[in-house]
Amino acid sequence: MKILNKQKLKDLLNSLAADATVYAPVKQDGVIRFQAWNGDQEIDLTDNALLPPKDLLFPQTEVMYKYTANGMRAEITEVAATAEKQVIFGMRPCDVKSLSMMDDVFLTKGYEDDYYKSKRENTVIISLGCNEPAPTCFCSSMGVDMTEAEGADVMMFDLGDKLALEAKTEIGENLLASASGLEDGSADKPAGGQCQLKVEPDGLAEKLAKMFEHPYWEELCRKCLGCGACTYLCPTCHCFDIRRKNIGEKGFQFRCWDSCMFSEYTRMAGGHNPRPSKKERVRNRFLHKLQYFPERYGKVACVGCGRCLAKCPVNMDITRIIKELGEVAINE
Amino acid sequence: MMDLTQKMRDKARELLEKEEVKYVIGWEKGTFWYQSPPVFISRPEDVDKLVWDQFCINNLSKYLLDFKHLEGKIALFVKGCDSRGINRLLQDQQVQRDAFIVIGVPCPGMKDPEKAKGLSEDKADQLQLAEKCATCTTPNPVIYDELLGDEVAAAQVDDVERFARVNELEQKDPDEKYDFWKRQYDKCIRCFACRNVCPACNCRECVFDQAEPEWLGKRVVSSENQFFALTRAMHVAGRCIECGECERVCPMGIPIMSLNRKIIKDINNLFGSYDAGMNLEDQPPLGKYDVNDPEEFM
Repeated sequence: MKILNKQKLKDLLNSLAADATVYAPVKQDGVIRFQAWNGDQEIDLTDNALLPPKDLLFPQTEVMYKYTANGMRAEITEVAATAEKQVIFGMRPCDVKSLSMMDDVFLTKGYEDDYYKSKRENTVIISLGCNEPAPTCFCSSMGVDMTEAEGADVMMFDLGDKLALEAKTEIGENLLASASGLEDGSADKPAGGQCQLKVEPDGLAEKLAKMFEHPYWEELCRKCLGCGACTYLCPTCHCFDIRRKNIGEKGFQFRCWDSCMFSEYTRMAGGHNPRPSKKERVRNRFLHKLQYFPERYGKVACVGCGRCLAKCPVNMDITRIIKELGEVAINE
Repeated sequence: MMDLTQKMRDKARELLEKEEVKYVIGWEKGTFWYQSPPVFISRPEDVDKLVWDQFCINNLSKYLLDFKHLEGKIALFVKGCDSRGINRLLQDQQVQRDAFIVIGVPCPGMKDPEKAKGLSEDKADQLQLAEKCATCTTPNPVIYDELLGDEVAAAQVDDVERFARVNELEQKDPDEKYDFWKRQYDKCIRCFACRNVCPACNCRECVFDQAEPEWLGKRVVSSENQFFALTRAMHVAGRCIECGECERVCPMGIPIMSLNRKIIKDINNLFGSYDAGMNLEDQPPLGKYDVNDPEEFM
């Protein structure tokens, strides 16, 4: 185990940044988000970042290829599929867990997404355990161990004025061996806090399979504003749209996050929309997380980070919804 | 406030039992003690969900658009700011006045739920007013069928206070202003919460949702984000009722009301003082022609 005096945090990040881009939680203009370390930012390890670091593997806007078209001649330039090395520093166990779901989507079932894969393979994760979960956290109910992030290369603990770092993979060991500011030492792993919110999602997928036409959705959707805050702050939401930008004879194809809460998400070219109202959209969001994803990948697409319920303007609370879905009566 | 809660429940029960309305829209207690989100009551036995406390911050007026095609009436509770939203929708001819019943509730100002996070409930008294309520000039509903409770005294908010953030931004030089707004809107994740909560954003189909022609590119980059911000700001120009909901719901903390209030201030200077949504008679300055309008640019 390595110990880092927090005053030497900059030394550590600078040394990690020598041969990789280091992303760390920085508070800027009131928002904590992962930013590329430039040697002179204020790292904020208090609360989890408002935006999950998913955009480091699956950017909100990503160019796929470029082209020029002139008369009958067209030329396509592929965007380099080899990502640069990156280290994500201070990723919380819930967000690390979300990567297993992103991996399911982008790397399994017969298709590997090169854009994602390249970034994923070049990413080293230093996870920070949580001593004190926020009131909106419910990760314990979603199978997250807040002191041990499965999939992290290095596990880190906050000891107050110090950080303890423990390598979990060979990559992590090599990383720590060459990093600055660290001293050999030992420390007791903090116990981790207790989540105040708890849910029981077990067995829900089977019940939901019989609830597509249940009147619950009609009631549930009413207060929803239909904004995409929940989906864009979610570490597991992964829907995207593919669009083109033409500038004269040149142009590029890009993909960008999309949200099932938006009216045009399922709108077809002829104008028909199979999810015409809030009811169908809200239902889809929860069925995707709680039924379709478990059916396809064997796990609920939620890690209990609580961002959606912390930021929803109308308190659409997935923990309450899971509870209500469990209790509501269905006609078999 | 307990007293008003009971009055609300009684009123809602009466309306539902007499089948005068299909739904009553009000507020209920949320997950945490500092949340009172919207609730839609359709059965008399559910009226006890309704509450009136210092966290009924959501503006309910926009929900009327969801019931445009309902057969039967809606009743909704409105604070001062919410009631201006009703006038907004009526003036923009988005809803029919006889399709809903407005029950006014004088509002002492709502507490800031963001500041309450992590506090225990016994500290509620120490909470400050939400920022959007601190500069409110309209605590009492301006349109209603029935008013519950007694009107409260409106705070004396002068223009210096109301436009404090605008005045501060106006001190910056053009490059500093650009830098400020670029940084703010570079945070925008384009969730459209600001638009979706806004009673002035009531187009049947929003220009930002149109794929063909694609007015707003889907890339989340500075230029598109700024186009979104400016287009929306100019579209609600002269029609913004200053409920402050856009800024409250923004997950990224963008000071959207500074933009809206800058435009309000400019309109006031150019066309005379105007407060949107205060009544149905005074048309928005940019939506009417007056021979006395300034025309220095001609």
